[in-house]
Formats: sequence, C-alpha cells, structure tokens
Amino acid sequence: MRWWVNVFAVLAVVCLMFSVPLGLAVGAEEASAAVENADTALRGAFAAALNAESAGTNVSGLIGRLNEAGVALTGARVALAAGNYNDAVSRAGECRGLADGVVLDAGVLKNDAAAQASLWWVTVLLDVTGSVVFVVILFLVWRRFKRYYSDRLLGCRPEVAA
Amino acid sequence: MLSLGDCRYAFIVVGLIGVLVFNVPSLMLFVHLPGGERFSELYILGPGHMAEGYPFNVSAGVDYSVFLGVGNHLGGSASYQVVVKMRNATEPLPNATNGVPSPLPMLYAYEVFLAEGQTWEEALVFRFDDVAFGANVSSVGRIRVNDAWMNVNETAVWDNVNNGYYYQVFVELRLYNATGSSFGFHNRFVGLWLNMTSSM
Repeated sequence: MRWWVNVFAVLAVVCLMFSVPLGLAVGAEEASAAVENADTALRGAFAAALNAESAGTNVSGLIGRLNEAGVALTGARVALAAGNYNDAVSRAGECRGLADGVVLDAGVLKNDAAAQASLWWVTVLLDVTGSVVFVVILFLVWRRFKRYYSDRLLGCRPEVAA
Repeated sequence: MLSLGDCRYAFIVVGLIGVLVFNVPSLMLFVHLPGGERFSELYILGPGHMAEGYPFNVSAGVDYSVFLGVGNHLGGSASYQVVVKMRNATEPLPNATNGVPSPLPMLYAYEVFLAEGQTWEEALVFRFDDVAFGANVSSVGRIRVNDAWMNVNETAVWDNVNNGYYYQVFVELRLYNATGSSFGFHNRFVGLWLNMTSSM
C-alpha cells in the first residue's frame, strides 16, 4: 500500500515539472502583442506627462520613470527579436506597469496644478494691496518731508555778502 | 540742496519703481517672455566620455564602446528614439536637408525622455561577427549592439584612396510628435567610420 503512495507522489511531481513550462510558454504573437501594448502605454504615459507639464507642473520625476519604462521596452524588443518570448512579455509587463503608474501620477499632478492656478487672484490681490499700502506710506512720507523742508527753508536767515 | 520740485520727482520715480516691483508676481502670471532658440543635441563621445579615442580600426570578436548623448532644448519635455544603423560607403545616409531618414534597417533603438534642459548619455557597445575577406571585398555577417545580435550581411569593397574596408555605424535621432502620435526624423545624425581589419 505504501509503495503505491510513493509511486503516485513521484508521478505527480514529474507531471507538475513538465506541465508548468508548457502552461507558461508564450508564443511569438502573444509576445509581439504584449510589446505593442507596452509601446502604446508608454506613448500614452508621455502624453499624460505633457498634459501635466502644460498645466504648470514640474514633471522631472515622471520623466525619470518614463526612462525606466523605456529601458524595459527596449529590453522587451530585444528579447522579442531574439525569440525569448517569455522574457519579452515580462519586460513589456514591467514597461506597462511603469507607464500606468506615470499616467495616474500625472493626473494627480495636473489636478494639483489646476487647483494652484485657480488661486491666481490671490497673487493679484496681494500685489495690488501691497502697491496701495506702499503708495499711501510714500505719500505720508512725502507730506512729512515737505513740511520739514518748508520749516527748514523758513528758518534760514538771509545773509548779505559783503 | 535739491529744490522741492526735484524732490517731488524723486518721490514719484521711487513710487513707480515700488509699484512695479510689488506687481512682478502678477505680471509673471500673464506675461511670458520668449525663449531662446529651440533645438536638440545629438553627439557621440569616445570611451572616456571625451571627444577622442573613437574606435576606427576594428575587427571581429572585439567589443567597441562609445557614448551617445542627447540634449533637449525644445522648451518642454520631449520623447526621442535614438536609432542605431549600419551602412557601407555606398549606402544612403539620412538627408537632413529634406528631413528624410536613412532607409536602412534599424539595429537598435534607445527610448529617451528628457525634460527641458536635460541631457542623456548611454553607452553604445558593438561587436562584429562572421567577418570575411575576399578579393578586394569584405563582408560582415552579424553585429551585436549592446545585448542584441542582428544579421546585417554588409559588404564593403577596398577603398583605394583611404586604404581600407569602410563601414559606418551611425545614429539617427527621432522625435515623438504627441499631436500626430508618431515618431519623425529630427534631422540629426552622427556616425563613426570604421575600417574593418582581419585582426588587431
């Protein structure tokens, strides 16, 4: 009875070893489609970063991550050309993940920038208030200076030169 | 001593300058100064990141390394493809005047994203294989660019003037047009002339 169990266990392990690579094997078409999708995702992520930039955001961080995604896409293309389809799909997935993350963060940054830009009137209000206060103070200083100037002029004694 | 009229003018000038200074932040919101000339850089440096030591006499089975560089001065972020190609002396180069890229096949493409003012540098390592020499002719069967092997099957005839079998590895710059969702040749290319020898 016991040796049957051992034989069954060995057969199960052997079946598992052969079935896993077959189950995970990727064809050329699937790999090519994955690389194509990653390429499209990367272009979309760049467009999202451009949108965020046009809204006034600093996109240096996003650009760095796009470069990482670009390296993954290049690796996927090389693997695809070399016939390493599993590797191509894996790298394309990495590229796509990074690109999707950039799209999400670009959206958040764009919204933040839009909210910030909508406060432009605060800047204008502060500037106008500052200007008015400055002019009023200058006017008060001018009046004081004028009085001082006049008093000093009236206090002068004319002297006749010999 | 200044007259009262002169002092009045001085106060008015100080007042105007002060108002202008106070309103600079608001002016910056609405007034955008024109930028400088917009362009992209593309360059090749030698193995020591200097414009020297470029590979010239090459042979099969040896790795050669240079550095590619791209600079973005387009006034905003840009997406580039740096495309590596190979040709012999008779095959067409890109035509920068007409904006036409070389029709030769792409061997390798770097994906480069740059914010305004940023530069990018990356190693380009290449190696030739299946190199053969015949009567006044040489051929290269394969080239490896970084980690990618490609069949090229290029031939070059003996150059009597410059005494060698000359091939060129060159790099084209492509710029992504977000409006048209496509890459276009950016009218920039650089290359290395290489003299294929049987051994170093």
